[in-house]
Amino acid sequence: MAGRVRLNDPHPARGLPDFLGRPGPTAVHRLNPLTKATLATVTAVAAVALGGLVGPILLVSVAVLVPAAVAHVLVRLLRTALLLALPIAVSAFLVNLFFFPGAERILLRLGPITASAEGLEFALQILVRILAISGAVTLFYLTTRPADLVVDLERRGISPRAAFVANASVQTVPAMVDRAAQITAAQRARGLDTEGSLWRRIRGILPIVGPVILGSIAEVEERTMALEARGFTRPGRRTLLWAPADAGIERLARWAMVAALVALIVSRVAGIWT
Amino acid sequence: MVIRWIAALVAFIVVILIGIVSIGNFGTGIDPDSFFDTEGANSFALIGAIALVIGFIVYAGVEYAQTGGLGSIARQFDTRTIVLMPIAVAINIILGATVANALKIPIYLDSIGTILVGVLAGPVAGALTGFLSNILWTYVIPPPFQNGPAAAFAIVAVVIGVLAGLAGRAGWMRPRPNRSLGQLGIGAVLTVGVIVAMSWLAYLGWTSPAFGGEVNFDVAGSDAIFNVLGWLVLVLVAGTILGLLALLFVRRDLTAAYVVVAGLGTGIVAALISAPISANVFSGVTGGGTDFLVAALRQAGADIGAATLGQGLISDPIDKITTFFVVYLILAGMAARTKARFPQGDRLIEEGGMADLEEGEWRGASA
Amino acid sequence: MTLTLAGVGYRYAGASRPSLLDVDLELPDGTVVGLVGPSEAGKTTLCLVASGLAPRTVGGQIRGRILLDGEDVDAWPMHRLSARIGIGFENPATQLSQVAGTVFEEVAFGPMNLGVSRDEVVERTWEAMATMRIVDLAERDPARLSGGQQQLVAMAGLLAMRPAHLVLDEPTAQLDPAGTRLVGEAIARLAAGGASILVAEQKTDLLAEVADRVVVISDGRILFAGPADETLADPRLVEAGVAEPAPVRLRRAAEAGGVDPARLVVPVDA
Repeated sequence: MAGRVRLNDPHPARGLPDFLGRPGPTAVHRLNPLTKATLATVTAVAAVALGGLVGPILLVSVAVLVPAAVAHVLVRLLRTALLLALPIAVSAFLVNLFFFPGAERILLRLGPITASAEGLEFALQILVRILAISGAVTLFYLTTRPADLVVDLERRGISPRAAFVANASVQTVPAMVDRAAQITAAQRARGLDTEGSLWRRIRGILPIVGPVILGSIAEVEERTMALEARGFTRPGRRTLLWAPADAGIERLARWAMVAALVALIVSRVAGIWT
Repeated sequence: MVIRWIAALVAFIVVILIGIVSIGNFGTGIDPDSFFDTEGANSFALIGAIALVIGFIVYAGVEYAQTGGLGSIARQFDTRTIVLMPIAVAINIILGATVANALKIPIYLDSIGTILVGVLAGPVAGALTGFLSNILWTYVIPPPFQNGPAAAFAIVAVVIGVLAGLAGRAGWMRPRPNRSLGQLGIGAVLTVGVIVAMSWLAYLGWTSPAFGGEVNFDVAGSDAIFNVLGWLVLVLVAGTILGLLALLFVRRDLTAAYVVVAGLGTGIVAALISAPISANVFSGVTGGGTDFLVAALRQAGADIGAATLGQGLISDPIDKITTFFVVYLILAGMAARTKARFPQGDRLIEEGGMADLEEGEWRGASA
Repeated sequence: MTLTLAGVGYRYAGASRPSLLDVDLELPDGTVVGLVGPSEAGKTTLCLVASGLAPRTVGGQIRGRILLDGEDVDAWPMHRLSARIGIGFENPATQLSQVAGTVFEEVAFGPMNLGVSRDEVVERTWEAMATMRIVDLAERDPARLSGGQQQLVAMAGLLAMRPAHLVLDEPTAQLDPAGTRLVGEAIARLAAGGASILVAEQKTDLLAEVADRVVVISDGRILFAGPADETLADPRLVEAGVAEPAPVRLRRAAEAGGVDPARLVVPVDA
């Protein structure tokens, strides 16, 4: 074969490896990622739009807890969602309980601050809303691989460069944290003080910032060259190895969810329904 | 070409009108039954931001319909920008998560990456970096870095990216060292004035009674990485004040004034847009150190809308001035040659910093 | 396909003097050309120019002509050139695309960008991995491999593009001895299989094994060139600041010490 670098190791004919696009363990996992993303977003927005207590609680049961149970991730979901919501929930609860202006029905008086019944009601509403959002988002995160969602979007038409940015961002966050941890450990071994006096701690920060942030930016040039050497600048679509399956019924469900949400928002804004 | 801009402008105005009509008059008040801030006086900035995004989508849609592609936007996204964006997103998320989850001080520090990309590559690139950062931060990043409320503020990040891109395009981040004292004159007065005002506001806000009356240096949180990163954040804020003063008086760099103005402007706009989101969706509480500030303001009698706006107007300018300064430092650390290859790189290099003549047989890239 | 550089000069953006001047180089099919020279001699620059990255990706200005089988490629965009000439770099980690969870997807990245059919992508990927002997790494996470393994993955990714020529810029410079051996063996296999490679290296021992010709560069200009064994034994090599291969050094030491090199137990023929 003239004109190309010859490869002369014989190999058995193989197809697409089976570890690519492996379907998930449960029906929920196997849902199209866009469906799950739509579900999470619609649930979160609806939780805010519904207001009150009953609405969000019902919504969460149907849209978050039931699918989580089907996906066998209920326990993990509860733990992760509560963990995620905890700092906000505590703040929100306390702030609204105690600092609700114009409160009439006083429950408790602690020195200069008072807890009121109105504050309590409001605080509970906010709490339920936060838990709903947290649960919806966690369900998505637990049942979907981000790369799968990006592949699906790329199949539907977003540019390969946008897909690249999304995928690379997801990989870069843990990579950068690892690097910072590594550098911290290495610097500690060289006597860097991360405890101790304020001044020492401040002085200790800089040998870590430099390598991590500036080092990452310095790599941009090399990475750019490596990508362009692999044909990255070719305009248009690229070949995808696989894409998640999508069923007609899922498409219907997605549109239905969005339509229901729009109807909900319109009815609330127009005051038809409180 | 003109059709696109006209279509976008029309869409922009239509959305603004819809927003104004549905929000009603510009009073402020909480509906006692639904607890919604139904009169949203401070929502006009949010409406503007939504209108901006929809206008952009219309522009892109028309261009796509006309040409089957998105050429004018795609030009801002060369490989180098594409490579920088994930790094910028990661910086946003890591530092932002440290502040939100571990450090209880009322700033955000989640826009360094957005502003860096905006300045280097342009408004659209900056906007997308901000948008992607916030969306990923909520939906995809695992704990301990995950942040629930972030996605709701994606539109704020978009506008920050746009403003940073415009500031970069206007050459605001170009170094201007060694100016005479006369040239520094107004710039110096402005910078010092803003710094003093910000420091005083920061002191007021950060030592409010809700904090127990003193600035909190202890870093909560069990992850060791937050310990280190937390100190980094404090260093950045204190360092910004000192750094800006040093830039002004040691290097006699007039750009310090531009940095301060850019930060102030972006901060105010960001506060205006994020306040109604924070008030209506989260009742002013998003889990970070800003919550205490909101609480303090509410205790003083303000309603949710006014409290979140007040908190925003204190936290955001400080946050954005610090961010712009850090971005300026990062740019200073990059070689001119590296910056030059970015779409807006030539506006970030000192005047006359790079000689590049095409003479005789020497030719640049033709493809 | 022969890659020809004729009278090529290159100047980085904003630089006051050129980094390359009057470079004439030919890389015919099936030849391995070694590029040696002291640090900052222009080896990397020459690799970037030969692959087209300079001036397309890195900016700067060029003069002279670059030809592929006689055709001037000056107007070719980078993606078109990348399918003909592959370039590998020193740092194994920064060559990873960062969007591939497995080695298979990493190697497939190039052909996917080229837009060939899916079956073609899969076939090229397996073939490239087989050549680099990394088929058993197919499911591994590329970020967790050793430097040497990552360098092999990067090279497989280049081979999957089916280029006519490979340019390698100091592929073993950042590797430990085990990695160096891995990559050195892979390059030797490619060379034995008839590949056309331009490899810049400080480790002249590696070149002694695989190169057909060696070019010596210093201060942006080519000093001298010739068949590998002659050039590597040329006394001007050391003068130019390049370490000669071990056998050559041994033979010289033997001669200087009055010992007949033919009588040494260790064979000293380069």
